[in-house]
Amino acid sequence: MAGKSILKPILKIAAVCAALVLFFLLLWWGQEHWDAYAVRILNLCGIYIAITLGLNLCNGFTGQFSLGIAGFMAVGAYTTALLTMAPEIKQAVYFIEPLIYPLNSIQWGFFPALLMAAVVSGIVGFLVGAPAIRFRGDYLAITTLGFAEIIRVVFTNIVPITNGALGLKGIPPHTDLVWSWGFALICIAIMARLMKSSFGRALKAIRDDEIAAEAMGVNLFSHKCLAFVLSAMMAGVGGGLLGNLITTIDPNMFRFPLTFTVLMMAVLGGLGSITGTVISAVLVTVAMEALRALEEPRVIFGLALPGIPGMRMVVFSIALMIVILFFPKGFMGDREISLDRAKRFATRLCRTNTSRQG
Amino acid sequence: MSKNTVPALVCENVTMKFGGLTAVSDFNLRVPEGALYGLIGPNGAGKTTVFNIVSGVLRPSAGAIKLFGDDITGLSPDRIAYRGIARTFQNIRLFQNLTVLDNVLVGLHLRREVNLAQALLALPQHRAEEARMAQTATQLLEEVGLDDFSDYRANALPYGQQRRLEIARALATKPKVLLLDEPAAGMNPAETENLMRLITDIREEFGVTILLIEHEMKVVMGICERMTVLDHGEIIAEGTPAEIQRNERVIKAYLGGGAVVGNKGS
Repeated sequence: MAGKSILKPILKIAAVCAALVLFFLLLWWGQEHWDAYAVRILNLCGIYIAITLGLNLCNGFTGQFSLGIAGFMAVGAYTTALLTMAPEIKQAVYFIEPLIYPLNSIQWGFFPALLMAAVVSGIVGFLVGAPAIRFRGDYLAITTLGFAEIIRVVFTNIVPITNGALGLKGIPPHTDLVWSWGFALICIAIMARLMKSSFGRALKAIRDDEIAAEAMGVNLFSHKCLAFVLSAMMAGVGGGLLGNLITTIDPNMFRFPLTFTVLMMAVLGGLGSITGTVISAVLVTVAMEALRALEEPRVIFGLALPGIPGMRMVVFSIALMIVILFFPKGFMGDREISLDRAKRFATRLCRTNTSRQG
Repeated sequence: MSKNTVPALVCENVTMKFGGLTAVSDFNLRVPEGALYGLIGPNGAGKTTVFNIVSGVLRPSAGAIKLFGDDITGLSPDRIAYRGIARTFQNIRLFQNLTVLDNVLVGLHLRREVNLAQALLALPQHRAEEARMAQTATQLLEEVGLDDFSDYRANALPYGQQRRLEIARALATKPKVLLLDEPAAGMNPAETENLMRLITDIREEFGVTILLIEHEMKVVMGICERMTVLDHGEIIAEGTPAEIQRNERVIKAYLGGGAVVGNKGS
């Protein structure tokens, strides 16, 4: 009995490790052998899963409706880009004003650069969050939205560091499937662990009733900060991965529509659901690309239709409204798909089938 | 218990002003350790304001709150909860979307010994603490008779049981002083009867000092040893249930001036 109880977790860990190794081998192989367009979309899926989880941690699980995610993505993207670009390319890109020392002469590896992105966006997240989380509801949303815009405007104007509105070009394309999905898995693991712990319950308690949570001894400031900073870090690293995927960034990428896209993913999946977030991040990312077909000029029944730019956003808005009508809490609400649930569902399915046969 | 032990909870000349309105004025209270103390008064007398001051939601305009001799005036609610005061709310404030068990587990969060990193890495200390917390929470739910509902969402419970869950959650913070804000509000006579038994049981079992706000006279008179009567933010009487029942100012406050005359006549 005792042997069995020790063996079981070891087996479980071994199975998880084996699955992870297989998964990453597949991604590593796929990076070379799959269609480049598909790989790109898969990369975006991984990155958006991570960023949306970050947003969901703050907006969904903790109930702090923040709209600053694009700002933190910008911070992460610029940090990673500045640290990974080669000095010669920097010299060529910064032709209006040279990049300041020491940024102009350093080139880091991708991993330390991403770590730095996490640290810097975490610090910015704290600086923005610490004053902002004293607000509630709409006021918090407006404040964080304002902060995100401030970050963007600052980035447009500190030309010696960010190259201003020209943006950065020639960022090394470090991001591949292993990086993006590796980070997505790390974020999923962090969220799953956090929500299973006492800290996660405290965050949800804050969402449900701030006054009661505080009366039960939950320190509102530190717990909200925790959610805000973790969320900013996930967005920051996600932004870094994004920059090194598309190899060019400029301040206008990080306008409000980017926040809106991530927010839409979180709301569709269910504010407060990890699995829902993963599903909808993948769905929306794929749909965004698939619907591009709508914007191309085409001939239907001999009728030549010109391409209408922005058509896919119209379709998206309609889809969003339909989903909200039929799933007011998103696909998953605040429920999760777990192995236990799947097992229970399977046994229930089998039972009904056998009872039907009998 | 000797007379010179430090009282569990003391309010010293507490005054609370909202702009020009004085909600509580010069309020004094001494709750001895282990007591079951009542705070009563007509609607708008300032009872809940006193609770909000003691639990740190409001900062008094003047005066001091002392818990076993320590000044806790002006501390934030979570610090006060950590020092050992837990409360329930007049209009139930549960974590509606969490399960019954999770509601109690949130109450256990403030006495955690595991830090965030240990929890995220799922270290053995974290697992051990989670198991310990689950066990304690289940025991508390048994105590209030909700152990069969631990997987339910809190908002799925009927009203009376939500009140019991609030008490279990408050007990999870390991309080020295428990503040109950109208625990019997909206309960039927049978539920009220059970609740009175629960409150006296809790005091015995957890050795906790209880301060109770109540409208239901049966509850206060039945279980409280002493009580303070508030009216328009001022103390109008203090004493045992028998003394309070005979106190003319109390009768006047509750039934109005005419009633006193009528009582005298009969």
